[in-house]
Amino acid sequence: MKRKLIAAIGVATMAATVAACGSGDDGGGGGDSGAITVWLMDGSAPDAWLEELNAAFEEEHGVTVNVEIQQWDGIQDRVTTALSEDGTVDVLEIGNTQTVGYANTGGLADLGDLADEPWNEAMLESAQVDDTLYAVPWYGANRVVIYDRSIWEEAGAEVPTTRDEWITALETIQENTDAEPIYLPGQSYYVMGGFVADEGGSFAVEDGDGWAGALATPEAQAGMEFYAELQSFSSAPAEIDEAEPQQSTEVVPNGEVASWVGLGWEAAGAIAAIEEQGGEADLGYFPIPGKTPDQLGHVFLGGSNLAINERAGNPEMADEWLRMATSQEWAQKYVDANNGGVVPNRTDVTATPEEGSFAEAMVASADVGYLPPLTTGWANVETDPNPIKELMTKAINGQDYQSAAEEADAEITERINRE
Amino acid sequence: MRKVWLNGTALVLSALFIFPVYWMVSTSFKSNSQVLTKEPVFFFTPTFEHYSTATGVELFWTYVTNSVVVTVGAVLLALAVALAASYAIARLEFKGRRGMVIAVMMAQMAPWEILIIVVYLNARDAEMLNSLLTLTLIYFVMSLPFTIWTLRGFIAAVPKELEESAMLDGCNRRQAFLRVIFPLLGPGLMATSLFGFIAAWNEYAMVLVLNKSPDAATLPLWLTQFQTNFGNDWGATMAASTLVTIPVLIVFLLLQRRATGGLSAGAVKG
Amino acid sequence: MTVHIEEAPAPPPPVKGSRGPGEGRRPPRRRVPSGLVPYLLLAPAVFALLAVLGYALARNVLISFQEFGRRQLISRTTEWTGLDNYKAVLENERFWDSLVRTFFFMAANVVLIMVLGTLLGLLLNALGKKMRLVLAISLVAAWAMPVIPSTTVFRWLFDTQFGLANWVMRTLGFSGYDQHNWFGSGMSTLAIVTLLIVWTSVPFVALNLYAGLTTVSGEIWEAARCDGASSQRIFWSILMPIMRPFFMITTFLEIIWVFKAFAQIYAMNAGGPDRQSETLPVMAYVEGMGQNQYGMAAAISVLTLVILLIAMSFYFRLILKQEKENS
Repeated sequence: MKRKLIAAIGVATMAATVAACGSGDDGGGGGDSGAITVWLMDGSAPDAWLEELNAAFEEEHGVTVNVEIQQWDGIQDRVTTALSEDGTVDVLEIGNTQTVGYANTGGLADLGDLADEPWNEAMLESAQVDDTLYAVPWYGANRVVIYDRSIWEEAGAEVPTTRDEWITALETIQENTDAEPIYLPGQSYYVMGGFVADEGGSFAVEDGDGWAGALATPEAQAGMEFYAELQSFSSAPAEIDEAEPQQSTEVVPNGEVASWVGLGWEAAGAIAAIEEQGGEADLGYFPIPGKTPDQLGHVFLGGSNLAINERAGNPEMADEWLRMATSQEWAQKYVDANNGGVVPNRTDVTATPEEGSFAEAMVASADVGYLPPLTTGWANVETDPNPIKELMTKAINGQDYQSAAEEADAEITERINRE
Repeated sequence: MRKVWLNGTALVLSALFIFPVYWMVSTSFKSNSQVLTKEPVFFFTPTFEHYSTATGVELFWTYVTNSVVVTVGAVLLALAVALAASYAIARLEFKGRRGMVIAVMMAQMAPWEILIIVVYLNARDAEMLNSLLTLTLIYFVMSLPFTIWTLRGFIAAVPKELEESAMLDGCNRRQAFLRVIFPLLGPGLMATSLFGFIAAWNEYAMVLVLNKSPDAATLPLWLTQFQTNFGNDWGATMAASTLVTIPVLIVFLLLQRRATGGLSAGAVKG
Repeated sequence: MTVHIEEAPAPPPPVKGSRGPGEGRRPPRRRVPSGLVPYLLLAPAVFALLAVLGYALARNVLISFQEFGRRQLISRTTEWTGLDNYKAVLENERFWDSLVRTFFFMAANVVLIMVLGTLLGLLLNALGKKMRLVLAISLVAAWAMPVIPSTTVFRWLFDTQFGLANWVMRTLGFSGYDQHNWFGSGMSTLAIVTLLIVWTSVPFVALNLYAGLTTVSGEIWEAARCDGASSQRIFWSILMPIMRPFFMITTFLEIIWVFKAFAQIYAMNAGGPDRQSETLPVMAYVEGMGQNQYGMAAAISVLTLVILLIAMSFYFRLILKQEKENS
C-alpha cells in the first residue's frame, strides 16, 4: 500500500519521497565546480563505505560530494523531473528495470569508454541501449526462501532441491505443526515471474516493432499454477502483495511462519523485529528450487545502476566519481562492506558470503536471474492497478485463467508500448 | 432532558470523529510489532522512541521553520488580498462584477492535483524551484478563491445601514470598514484562516516536485520518509503525523478565542 | 471597540494600500466610489490568480494538444498532436464508466456530508460551552489529520488480516469475518472511501455552519422560540433562508471537492478490484500521470473541467441570481 499511498498523495505526481537526510548540503544548486550531488537510494550504500569513498574522492579531486538519500517510492517521477532540471543532480542510482526508460528519454549521459570494463554480463544488459552505455551496473540482489529452522526441524521437513520436494516439505509442516507452512500473498508477481521463466515464458514478448503481453500462454499458466499451489499453503489473502502489510516486519514476527520468500533486507528486518519482541530468530535460507535438482528456480535479478545526468552541473567530476565508485578496488570494498550480500557488478570482484547466510543462498541463484522486459514502457505496466497482480488474484480465486490472462495481456500490451 | 440527550449525542459523535485520530496517536506510542496484530492492542506500555526517531531526523528544524513560514505567509496573504477583493465584490458596484464572481467560482474548481505538472513546469522555466516564496504563493492562491467567497458572504451579511450610520458619524469608508465590518468578520476570518492553514500545512504533492533540495522541504515530506522500501516505520510515521496535527489544533483554539471575542464585540455594537 | 480592533488578527493591509487617493474623505453617501477603487481592491487577487492559476491552466490546455511524456519533459521538446489525446480519451470506454460512477459517488457523498454536517453544525450551536469545545476539537482533529495517516489508519481498520473491523465483527460473534476482504468489490471499496471522505469533510461543513449561525442574532432565535415555533420550523423557515447562501456555496464546494477526490480512493484500492471503484480522477491518474502521459492527463483534466462546468451551470445561474438579489 505504501507505494500506492505515496503515489496517491503525491497525486498527480511526480511523486517521490524526499531525501531522507541530505548530508546537510545546500541541495542541488547549479554547476558549482567545487561540489557534486549524488542521489543514492535508501539502504543501497553502507555508510562506512560511502564515507571512505567520498573522503578519498574529496582528497584526490578537491571536490565535495553531497549525497542525498532517496526513497524508492515514486522515485521515477522525482528522477524524471530532476533530469529536466539543470544541475539538480550529477550522479544518480537508477533501478535496473528503469534505466533503459531514462536512457531513451535522452536524460542520461553516454558513458562511452566505461563500456570496456569487465561488467557482469547479465547486469550490463539493463544499462545499455543499442550498444551505447548509459549507466554502469552497481549491484544486484535477488530473492531466496527464508525459513524458520526450528519449525522445519520440529516438522521433520528437509531443505528441498526441487519443486516437488518443496511441496512435500510444506505438506510435512502442515501435517506436523501448527505453523503456516509458507507465507505467500497472492500478488508477489516477481516470484511468480520466476516460475514463468522456469517454463521458458515471460511477462511480455517482442512483437513486431513493439511488445505484447504474454500471460495467456501455456508457460505463464503453468508458472501461475505452481504459484497458486504454493499459495494454497498460505493463509495470506489473495488480493495483497508482500509490501502491505510488510511481510518481513509486520507478518512474520507476529505469527508462526515456517517460511517465506524475501530479499536480504527483509530477512534482516524480520530478525530485528523478532528480536525486538524478545524472540529468537533462527532463520535459514535456500535458493528457490527449480523443476529438477540440477537447475535452480529463476529469480528476478533486482539491482541498481549508476548513471550521470545529461544536465549534470559538473559532468567531469561526476564521471570521475562514477569511475572511482565502480572501480575494481571500490567495487570489491563495496561487496565486502555488504558481507557478500550483493551480486557483484564486475567479473573481477568476488563475493565470499558466510556459510549458511542469506548471501550464500542468494548468490547461488544469481546465475538464473531473469529481468522483466527492458523497455521504456515496463514501468507503466507496474503502475497500480498492475494487470499482472490483478490476474494473480483472479487465478488464485479460481476464475478462468485464459480469459483473465487475455484481458491482462491486452492491458500490458497497451501500457508497455507507451513511452 | 433535552440537554442530556444533546450532550450524549455530542459525546458519541466526538468519540466517533476522534477515533481515527486516537488510533494514529496511540500507534505512535506502540512498539512497531504492536501496530498490526490479529487482536488489536489497546493497552500497552507507551514508548517515546518514535518521537525521538521522528524529531531526530537531520534538518528537522529546517522543515518546521519552512512549514511555518510558508503556511503563515500564505494564510496572511490570502486574508489580506481576499479582504480587499471580497469587500469590493460585496459592497461596491462596478462593471465586471458578475464576471469576477464567476471567475472566483471557477478558480475554486481548479484541479490542483492535475495541475501539479504544469505548475512545476512554470516554476522550473521561471527558475523558481526550491523556493519557499514560490510555495507560499501557490498555497496562497490555492486558498484565495475560498477565502474571497467566504469573506464576501460575511461582509454582505453585515447590514449596510450599520456601515452607513458609521459614515454619517464621520468615519470614512476605510474607518467604517475597520470599525464596523471587520469586527463582525471574526467567524469568517476564523473559518478561512483555518481552511488556508490546514490546506497549506498539509500540502504534499506540490512541495514534493517543486522543492527537491532538502533545505526547502516542509513537514509533509518529513512525514513520508519513515515509509521506505526497507520496512515501514509506522510508529515514527504516526508520531510525525501526530506532531503535524497538533499545531492545527492549537491554531484552532487560538482562532476560536479570537473569533468569539470579535463576535461579542460586534454584537455589542449591533 | 478600539481596543478590540488593535487586537484583531490580521489587519488588512491591502485595504489600506489599495485605497483610492482621497476616496475616504468623500462625503459618506451611498455607492459613490470613484470608478477605480473596486478595481484597485480586486487587482491583487486578480493578478495572483492569473499569474499562478491562469498561467497553469493555460499551459495545461496547451500540453493537452501535445504528446507530452517523460521524453518531452526531460529533453524540453514540443510535439503537437492535435486532438489525439482527446480522441484517445473519448474513445476509451473506461472514461465513460468512470464518469457515471463519479457522479453517483459524488451525489452520495455530498448528500451525506451536507446532511450530517448540517446536523452537527446545529448540534454545535445548541450545545453548552464545554461540550461544544469537546465536539469542535474532535471535528478539527479529524479535519486536520494529514492524508497520509488518515488513509493509512482507514486501511488498517479494514485490513483483511489485521483490521479492527474484522476483529469487531468476530468479537460480536459474526461468522465469516476471519479474513473478510472489505475491498473485495467496487461497491464496498467505495463505501469505505465514502466513510473516509465523509469523516474528513463533515467537520468543514459543521464548523462553518456553526460560524455562520453565530452571526444570526440571538434575538431571532428567542423571538421564534417565544412564538412557539418548533425546532423544525425554526430551521426551515428561519435558518434556511438566512443560511441559504451558505448552503449554496458549501454544497457547491463539496460537489467540487468530492468530484476531484483522488488520494483517498486511489490509496484504498487503486480503483480496484478490476477498476470497479475507479472514478474520473483515478482514471486520469492511472492512464495519464501514473504512466507519465502528461498530455493525456491534461486532456482528461480539461474534459473533466468542461463536464463539471456544464453540470454546474445551473448552479452558477442560481448563485448569480442570488447575487443580483443581494445587491
